Amino acid sequence: MTESAAAGIHPQSAATHAPIAPTKLTVRDLHFYYNGFHALKGINMDIPEKKVTAIIGPSGCGKSTLLRIFNRIYAIYPKLEAKGEIVLDGENILDSRYSMNRLRSKVGMVFQKPVPFPMTIFENVAYGIRHHEKLSRADMDIRVEQALRSAALWDEVKDKLKQSALGLSGGQQQRLCIARGIALKPEVLLLDEPTSALDPIATGRIEQLVEELKSEYTIVIVTHNMQQAARCSDLTAFMYLGELIEFDRTEQIFTKPGKKQTEDYITGRFG
Amino acid sequence: MQANVGAVDATVPQQEARARRDARHDRLFSWLLKGCALLVLACLLGAAGATLWGGRHAFGTFGWHFLVSDAWDPGSDTYGALVPVYGTLMTSFIALVIAVPISFGIALYLSEVAPPWLRTPVASAIELLAGIPSIIYGMWGLFIFAPFFADHIKPWLTNYLGNKPDDGKLSWVAQHTFLGKLFGSDYPFGASILTAGIVLAVMIIPFISSVMREVFQTVPSRLKESAYALGSSTWEVSWDIVLPYTRSAVIGGIFLGLGRALGETMAVTFVLGNAMQLSASILDPGASIASTIANQFSEAAGLQKSSLMALAFLLFVVTFIVLLIARWMLRQLAHKEGR
Repeated sequence: MTESAAAGIHPQSAATHAPIAPTKLTVRDLHFYYNGFHALKGINMDIPEKKVTAIIGPSGCGKSTLLRIFNRIYAIYPKLEAKGEIVLDGENILDSRYSMNRLRSKVGMVFQKPVPFPMTIFENVAYGIRHHEKLSRADMDIRVEQALRSAALWDEVKDKLKQSALGLSGGQQQRLCIARGIALKPEVLLLDEPTSALDPIATGRIEQLVEELKSEYTIVIVTHNMQQAARCSDLTAFMYLGELIEFDRTEQIFTKPGKKQTEDYITGRFG
Repeated sequence: MQANVGAVDATVPQQEARARRDARHDRLFSWLLKGCALLVLACLLGAAGATLWGGRHAFGTFGWHFLVSDAWDPGSDTYGALVPVYGTLMTSFIALVIAVPISFGIALYLSEVAPPWLRTPVASAIELLAGIPSIIYGMWGLFIFAPFFADHIKPWLTNYLGNKPDDGKLSWVAQHTFLGKLFGSDYPFGASILTAGIVLAVMIIPFISSVMREVFQTVPSRLKESAYALGSSTWEVSWDIVLPYTRSAVIGGIFLGLGRALGETMAVTFVLGNAMQLSASILDPGASIASTIANQFSEAAGLQKSSLMALAFLLFVVTFIVLLIARWMLRQLAHKEGR
């Protein structure tokens, strides 16, 4: 563990495969503290560009915590502290000089439960764009339509853009949240258990959407559902008790895991 | 087997009796509850009816003139409600203009910005403020605030904004805007409509801010996180997410404060000046419905007493209209949201 941590666990070194894509996000020696509780203990990983990286692990292993550091959303709460480095395009995003507004336009996030804003469907998508760009009405219409199309929602809502988003079904609301995220044209999209509140059909549509979106975005998805990780990710990271145990190609993790703990978890012996 | 069947047979009448008794109790209970609820309605109608009945003499004598006349002259026994109705509405309006933004700021600070250790003590302090009897606010207004206002605030307002400055030189503001009329005054003391509005604002800030703070805390953190994740600032999250989400409760809180301001008697009577004259200036003394009644009830008789009763009825009507406006505003807002 210590040896690989020093070298940085990333797919290239952990396995003998050639690098599958250039690195987008580099995590170096990341520690995280919750009111003094040591929640993440020295995470090192390289997240490749335009691939889907899944983070799995039992509840409380720190997988959501790790995701919430990538856009520094944790910083809105007091007494939370991250130490270490996360490098995005050559810049350390944990540096306090890195503008929060800029970070959040580059790194979008979708949460566990669908959370439409109390506004119309159109406004839900346009809301975020307005924080970062001044667009004419016509350009805004185009952007909103593009986002809704990419989130595979346009056909279902095009006739009711002026209606409240709260009237949509759970699955539609979650796709609206994805549309809202990608409307900012981020480079990285963080998905925090995006299907945990959805039925199997809605889940299937979201997974299909993730597959389509990875040609344009670097996607990091946290999931408690191992089948989901196996189905829709290129790389899988397994975390346990605040440590990154193993990080490799998904097929490798699920067929020939390198660590005993990983094998025990994916075969259902604990977790 | 035999005994078992017998036992079942024996319980059937018992169960039926029990069911009948339950149904009777339920009926009784629902009547009781209905009675409690109707009692409120009866009190409301009774009070409105009693004041209307008491004011019939005034309404009969002056007709519609009672509503639009600014005369209130016990000497010639002519009465009109315009001055106190205007005073009531204007003081309450000023109070809201001052209290709503401040309450919003207090509530936002406490629910979104303040460090956790500060939240509870400040919130308790606000609730304590809400419990202070209005006579104390009145005394503070009369003995401390009104003199201070007369010495330090009023001269500045009359000189720089008003159309009756001490040195006779009109400011640019007074020459070119309507503010000159609002702030022009020869009256030398601190009691005025503006003073009453400010004292009322201090009184209703605790109400409005504690309601706002409570409802702001009901906004799910995941909703706020989603907005932060799109790059919103704290101000944008508060204005675009927290406020719309809690809109109806916030308006409810504002109208709770307004209701209190409209009917507030003691504090207003102390600082309003109790002058039965209509003035465009908010630095002149005035009268409110509640202060007029409080000042004159003990010595009133005949038509004057009836006019005071009619005033009381008008306060009912004003409050009722304010509530209707609140409902209407909520419906308009909901309509705009697309719901």
